[in-house]
Amino acid sequence: MTNVSNNVPSDTVILSLKHIEKSFGGIHALSDVSFDLRAGEIHALVGENGAGKSTLIKIVTGAYTPDAGEIQINGSVYKSLDPTQARNLGIAAVYQEFNLLPELSVAENISLGAQPLGRFRLIDKKARSALAYELLERLGAHTHIDPDEVVKRLTVGEQQLVEIAKALAINARILIMDEPSAILPSRDLDRLFTVIRNLRDEGRGIIYISHRLNEIFELADRVTVLKDGQTMATKNVADTNHAELVSLMVGRPLTDMYPPKDNTPGEILLEVRDLCVEGTVYHVNFNVRAGEVVGLAGLGGSGRTTVCRALVALADVRSGEIIYRGKPAPRSPAAAAQAGLVLVPEDRKTYGLVLNQSMRFNLSLPNLSQFSLMGILHSAKEKGTIYKIIKNLQIKPPVPDISTENLSGGNQQKVVVGKWLLANPKLVIFDEPTRGIDVGAKAEIYMRIRELTRQGVGVIMASSELPELIGMCDRILVFYEGRLSGEIPREQFSEEAIMRLATGVKVNEE
Amino acid sequence: MAVTFEKTREAKSFYSGRWLKFLRDNASIILIYTIILLVIGIAAVFNENFRSPSNLVNIFRQSIILGLIAIGQSVVALTGGLDMSVAQVARIVGLTVATIFAAEGSNPDLIIPLIFLGLLIGMAIGLFNGIIITRTHANPFIITLGIASILRGINLAISSTPIRGIPKAYLLIYDFKIGIIPVNVLVMALIWVIAYIFTTRTRTGRAFFAVGGSERVARLSAISYNRTLVVAHTFCSVCAALTGLFLLARTGVGDPSAAEGMDFQSIVAVALGGISLYGGRGSMIGTLGGVLLLATLSNVFNLLQVNIYYQQLFLGLIVLITVAAYKSPRAA
Repeated sequence: MTNVSNNVPSDTVILSLKHIEKSFGGIHALSDVSFDLRAGEIHALVGENGAGKSTLIKIVTGAYTPDAGEIQINGSVYKSLDPTQARNLGIAAVYQEFNLLPELSVAENISLGAQPLGRFRLIDKKARSALAYELLERLGAHTHIDPDEVVKRLTVGEQQLVEIAKALAINARILIMDEPSAILPSRDLDRLFTVIRNLRDEGRGIIYISHRLNEIFELADRVTVLKDGQTMATKNVADTNHAELVSLMVGRPLTDMYPPKDNTPGEILLEVRDLCVEGTVYHVNFNVRAGEVVGLAGLGGSGRTTVCRALVALADVRSGEIIYRGKPAPRSPAAAAQAGLVLVPEDRKTYGLVLNQSMRFNLSLPNLSQFSLMGILHSAKEKGTIYKIIKNLQIKPPVPDISTENLSGGNQQKVVVGKWLLANPKLVIFDEPTRGIDVGAKAEIYMRIRELTRQGVGVIMASSELPELIGMCDRILVFYEGRLSGEIPREQFSEEAIMRLATGVKVNEE
Repeated sequence: MAVTFEKTREAKSFYSGRWLKFLRDNASIILIYTIILLVIGIAAVFNENFRSPSNLVNIFRQSIILGLIAIGQSVVALTGGLDMSVAQVARIVGLTVATIFAAEGSNPDLIIPLIFLGLLIGMAIGLFNGIIITRTHANPFIITLGIASILRGINLAISSTPIRGIPKAYLLIYDFKIGIIPVNVLVMALIWVIAYIFTTRTRTGRAFFAVGGSERVARLSAISYNRTLVVAHTFCSVCAALTGLFLLARTGVGDPSAAEGMDFQSIVAVALGGISLYGGRGSMIGTLGGVLLLATLSNVFNLLQVNIYYQQLFLGLIVLITVAAYKSPRAA
C-alpha cells in the first residue's frame, strides 16, 4: 500500500515532549522520549508491546507524572499535567476500552461533563440532543446514530464515534487514538479513517497508535518509533517503508541470558484442532510435544492470549477440539490444573496470586494435597517444601510469611512460577512470563523453563518480547487477527520474520 | 533448613522489623481485646455487681447464642459472602423440635433424635444455600436473604404463638453445669476450637481464604470453588441450627420470634473481630473477640439499665465505626 496522504501539515507545534523519563519501581518505562505533534497532522506512534506507548499517552493525558523532562503545550511549559488540566488544554484520548455509560443515551454521554441547562437550571434535553446531533453531523455520523439512542445498543464502531464526539464536545485540539482499529470490524475502518482525516483537516493534531503498519502508511503523516522507552526515530511516512519501521521497532542485540537448549521433544502432549473462540480466534491448529518449548507470538489483540486461556478452559471454545494426553482437555481451570495442564497467567496480580496472603499460602495453594493427610495440613512438611522452593528460586526476601503484595514484580512472578513447579505439571503455558520484571528474575525464570523441559514437561510460551521467544523456543507460532499466520522453525528465527507475520505483511509486499 | 534462611541478610533485615510487623498484622485483634479489657476494667471499677464471679460467667453464657452463630458467619465471611438466613435457620429448628415435642407429649426419649433432626435441618438448608449460590453464581447475600424470607414464611406457618411442652430434661443442655462452668460454654468452646482448626489447619480452610481472596486465582489453582462455598454455607447453617437448639433450651418454649436480629448481630461481631467483609482475611480469634465485646457491652448496658432502644442505636454506630476503621487500605 502506498502513501495516499497529500496533506501538508502546518509547522505549528501544539504538543512537544522533551526528554521524558518515567520509571515504576526501579524499572524504566520511559528513559528518554521526545515527541512533537503539529497542528493538522496525524502522527503515528509505533513500537512493540512494552516499548512505552501507553506510558507516554498517560503522561500526556495527565494520568502519570513524569520523573523528568518537560511538556510544552501551545508554547507553555509544564513539568507534569493532571487529568483536569489536560482536559482544559484540549487533550482528549479515545482508548480501546470506552469510557461510556452504556445505559445512558448518546446525547447524555456526550454532555456528561457539562449538561446544557435551561429554565430553572434544569437540564435542557432538547439543547442536549441538538448539541449531540451537531457534533455527530460534523463526524458525518448523524445519519445513522440517533442522539437519543441508548449507547449499549450501538455497535462498537458507533460507540467509538460517540467517544470522538465527546472529544469534540470539549473542543479537543489534541486527540489521541489508542489502537482504534484493533476493536473495529474492517468494514468500519474506512469510515473511521475519513473521520480522522477530517479532524486533521480542521487543524487538530492526532496521535494515532496502531500495531498495523499498513494503516500507518495509509493514514499518517509522520511516524515515531519507540523502543525500550526511547525514541528511535521520527520519520515522514512518505520517506520510510515497512522494513525500516520493523527494524527500528526490533533490532536489539540478543543477550546471553538464555540458557542453551538441551531438550529433545518427545511424544505429542497437546493437540489443538480447528480451535475457534467467538470473535477472537479462528481455525487454529497446532500441537505441543513433551519437552518442547513452543512460542506464541502476535501483537495485542491477535488472539494469542485467548488461545492460552482457551487451553485451560478460561475462554469459551466455540468449535474445534483440544486433545490433552490423548483425551479431550478438562473443561474447567481447576480440573485442568489437577490434570497437570497449567496456565501461568499474563496478569499475575489478578490471576496468579491471592495478593493479601503470604508467600507460603500462595506457593501451597495448588499443592495442598501434597502436604495433607485426610484433609488435615501437615505444616512441617509444608514449611520444608516451601523453604526449598524459595531457596531454589532465590525469592527475596526469603520469608515465607511475607504478604505477596509486598514483593517486587519479579519476586511475585517467581512465586507464581514456583507454585506450579511444585505441582509437577505436564504442560505449562506461560503467558508473558517476564512482563515487567527485572533482568535477573528473567534469567531465573528462563532457567526454570529449561529445567521443566529437561524433565519432559511441554511448555507453551506466549510473549510479546521477541528476543525471549527466539532465545527459548523450539519453534514459534505467529498469530495475526485471530488466525495462525505462520510457523517459524528454529533455524529461521529472526525478529523481522516474526514481525512480518505478526503485522500481516505479505512477503510479496517487500 | 529454617535456620539457614534466617541467617541470610534479607531475612535478618526482615525479621528485625518483626515485632512491628506482628503488631501491624494483628492490629485488629490486639485492638479488640484491648477494648474488651478496657470495658471490663472500667465496668469492674465503677460497678460492684459487674465484678462478681457469677456475673463474669454470665457474660460467657450470654455470648453462647451469638457466639455459635458468629462462628458460622465467620466462615462464610472468609469466602467473601454473608449468610442472611442464620436467624431464620435457628428459628425453624427451634420451632420444628418444639412442635414435635408438643405433639408427642413431651417425651424425653425424643431428645437425642430431635437434636439430630435439628442439625440435619440446618445441614439441608446450608447445602441448599450453597448449591443455589454456586449454580446461579449470584451474590450470597442476596440468595440467603431470599432463603431467609422463605424460611420466615414457613416459620409463621408453623406457629405464631409460643409452643409449650418441651421436656424438662431438654432444658439441661443449656442449664447443666460442671462445677461453675456451664456445659453450653464448653460446647461453644469446642465448636470454636473445631472452627479454628478447620480454618487454619485443613485444606478446606485454606480454600475459604483462597476463594475469598481471589476467586479467579483459586479456580486456576485447582481449588474447587463450588465445593468450598457449599462446605462454608453448610457449616454456617449447622452452627445456626445448634444455636436454635440452645435457644429452645434456654427459653423452654418454641419461640416464633427466636433469634430475632441475630443475622445482623453476627455480622457485627464478625466485622468487629476484623474479618474482612470483602473476604479472604481474618481469624476465629477475632470473631471470638467481637462476640465477647458485644456480650460484655450488653451485660454492662443491662446493669446500667440502658434502654434497649439506645442499645440498638449503639450497635448500629459500632458497625459504621468498624467498617470505617477497617476500610480496606487497597480500596483506593
